[in-house]
Amino acid sequence: MATTVVGEAKEQPISIKVVKKHHLLVRMSHWLNIPILLMLGLSGMSIYWAAPVYTHTPDPTTGNNDYLADFGMYICRHIPIYHQYSMPANWIYDHFSLGTGLLADALNIHWLFAYLFMANGFLYLIGLILGNGYKSLLPRRTDVGETFAMIRYYLGLLPAKLLRKPWHHPVINSKYNALQRSAYFSMPIFGTLSVLTGWAIHKPTQLKWIAALFGGYDYARIWHFWLMWIFAAFVIPHVILVAADGWDTFRSMVVGWSDRVTRHDA
Amino acid sequence: MPDEEDNHIPVESQLSQVETTTNSLPGDQTPAPIPINPSPPHVNRKRLRELLQETEPTPVELSLTKFRWMTRRDILVYGLSAVAALSAFYWLLPDDTRARIAGMSGSSKLDTLAMRVGLSGDRKTKLLGNVLTFDDDVAAALYSKDRSVPVFDKSQITPNLINNYDGQTPDPSYIPTWRLELSGLASGKDEMLTADQLRGGFKHYEEVTRLVCVEGWSAIAWWGGLRFADLLSAYPPMAGAKWAKLESSVNLDSNGNSDPYYVSIDLPTAQHPQTLLATHHDGKLLEVEHGAPIRLLVPMKLGLKNIKAVTKITYYIEEPADYWNERGYSKYDGL
Repeated sequence: MATTVVGEAKEQPISIKVVKKHHLLVRMSHWLNIPILLMLGLSGMSIYWAAPVYTHTPDPTTGNNDYLADFGMYICRHIPIYHQYSMPANWIYDHFSLGTGLLADALNIHWLFAYLFMANGFLYLIGLILGNGYKSLLPRRTDVGETFAMIRYYLGLLPAKLLRKPWHHPVINSKYNALQRSAYFSMPIFGTLSVLTGWAIHKPTQLKWIAALFGGYDYARIWHFWLMWIFAAFVIPHVILVAADGWDTFRSMVVGWSDRVTRHDA
Repeated sequence: MPDEEDNHIPVESQLSQVETTTNSLPGDQTPAPIPINPSPPHVNRKRLRELLQETEPTPVELSLTKFRWMTRRDILVYGLSAVAALSAFYWLLPDDTRARIAGMSGSSKLDTLAMRVGLSGDRKTKLLGNVLTFDDDVAAALYSKDRSVPVFDKSQITPNLINNYDGQTPDPSYIPTWRLELSGLASGKDEMLTADQLRGGFKHYEEVTRLVCVEGWSAIAWWGGLRFADLLSAYPPMAGAKWAKLESSVNLDSNGNSDPYYVSIDLPTAQHPQTLLATHHDGKLLEVEHGAPIRLLVPMKLGLKNIKAVTKITYYIEEPADYWNERGYSKYDGL
C-alpha cells in the first residue's frame, strides 16, 4: 500500500501506510515458543521412552512391548537406507527425542523448559492484553458460517487452479478468518492444558485436584502426551499457510507492522 | 513508536482518522475526547463492547526508508537472537545427544568453542542442577503435613506390582539375621532392632496408595506397617536433626554385585501419617521382591525414595547423600 507523492506520477513511493498487527511481547513469545516446544517435545519423548503408555504383551523374541519401538522396526525393515540401522527398536526415539537411556537428563531439561514455557505464556498473555490482540481472537457469531466458507475455499483452491478457473477468497472483515481465529484461540488453551496436565503428572499428590480434573494420574499422562501431538500437528498447516500468505504475514510477526491497511485484502 | 498512544484512542476517533490522516505523519494524531454517555446501563454495555469488540486498526504513514530500516533492524535482531537461542539450547543437550547430532569430533570441536566463550561443561551442570533445586524447592513449598495422599479401594489395586530390582532380587538369606540399625539418635548411642520388635512393638496401619515411578508408570498397592512417625517418637533423633538417610546394604546392581542403596528423606515427610515402614504387602508379610522385612513407603515421594530392605536409618542435621541424586536426578522428589 505505497502512496506516491502528489503531482509526481510514476515516481518511487516515498512513504508507506502500515497498521500495528502484533505487540512486541506477542512477537517475542511467539518465536520463543519454537525452541521451547521443540525442547519440551524432544525431552518429553525421552521421558516417554522410559515407560511407554501404548504397549502390548512383550514380543517373545525381542521382549519389546512398545508400539513406537515396533514402528521404528517397521521403518528400518521397509526403508532401504535404514536396513543396516544398529538399533531398529530405538529408531523413533533416536530421531524424535533426545535419545534413549537419558531419563535423568531429559527430566532435567523438561523442567527447565516447562518453567520457561509457563513464563513465556505469561509474556504472551500480557502482550495480548497490552496490544488489544485478544479482541481479534475472541469467537463471534459469524464464525460457523465463515468456517464453512473457508473450508470450501481451501478444498476448491487446488482444483480451481488446475482448471484455471477464478476462485475467490471469502471476504473477511476482521484481522483473522474464522479458521485462523479458532486455531489461534485454541492454542493458548492447549498450552494451558499442557501446563495443567504437566503439573498433574509432576505433583499428583499435592496437586491431586488437578490430576482429578483429567481423570487421575494415568489419564493425565495420556492427555499430556496427546497435547504434544496437537502442537506438532498445528505447526505443519501453520507454516504452510504463512508461507502461502506471503512476506507481509511473516514480517508482521517480526516487525509488528503490516502494510495490509484494509481488512478486505486478507 | 505511535502504537502506545493508539491503544487509548476510542473507536469513533479511530474510524474518523482513517479518512483524515491520509497525508499526515504519526506525530500529528490528537486523541479525541472520550464521549460521555449519561445512562449508566448503556455505559456498562458499551464499555463491555469496547473491551471485547475487534476494531479496525489505525493506519499510520511512515517513510519507506524508515520502514525498511526498521524491518532490517528487527529481522537482524530476531535472527541473531534465534542463533543465540539455538546455540544455547544445543549446549544444554546431553553429551550423547550432541554426539549424535554433530558427530563425535564435531561435538568436541563445538565444546571447545563453547568453552572459549565461557560455556563450560561445569557451568552447564551447575545451571541444570539449579533447575532441579528450584523444582525441588517448589515441591517442598507445596508439601503440607496436613494434606493427605489419595487413597484407593482394594479393587483398584494394580496387579503384578513391578519392583525395579531389574531381575537382581537379593538372595533372601539376609532375612533371618536382619537388623535395623538406628544412628544419630538423641540418646547418643545406636540401636539394633529386629523385625519382630518392629512388627510387634508398634501400632499397625494399612493403606492403599499409588506408587509413582520417576519413569512415569504408577501402581496402586496395599501396604501395612508401622508409622515412621511412631519410630521417630520411640527413638527420637538428635537435636537439630532435619534429615534421615535410609540405607539398604543388601541391594544389588544389574550384574548381581553388591550396590548399597541409600535415600535422603526430610523429617517433615518422615513424620507424615501416611509414611510407613511397611512390613506387609497385599495383606501378607512383605516378600523379598518388595523389600522384606521392612521397606519405606512414602507415597508423597517418587518410587525411588521408597527404599526396599532398609538396614540402617541415620539422622542428620544437613541433607545426606542420595543414590539417584548422585546420578543426575532431583533430590527432594516430592509428588
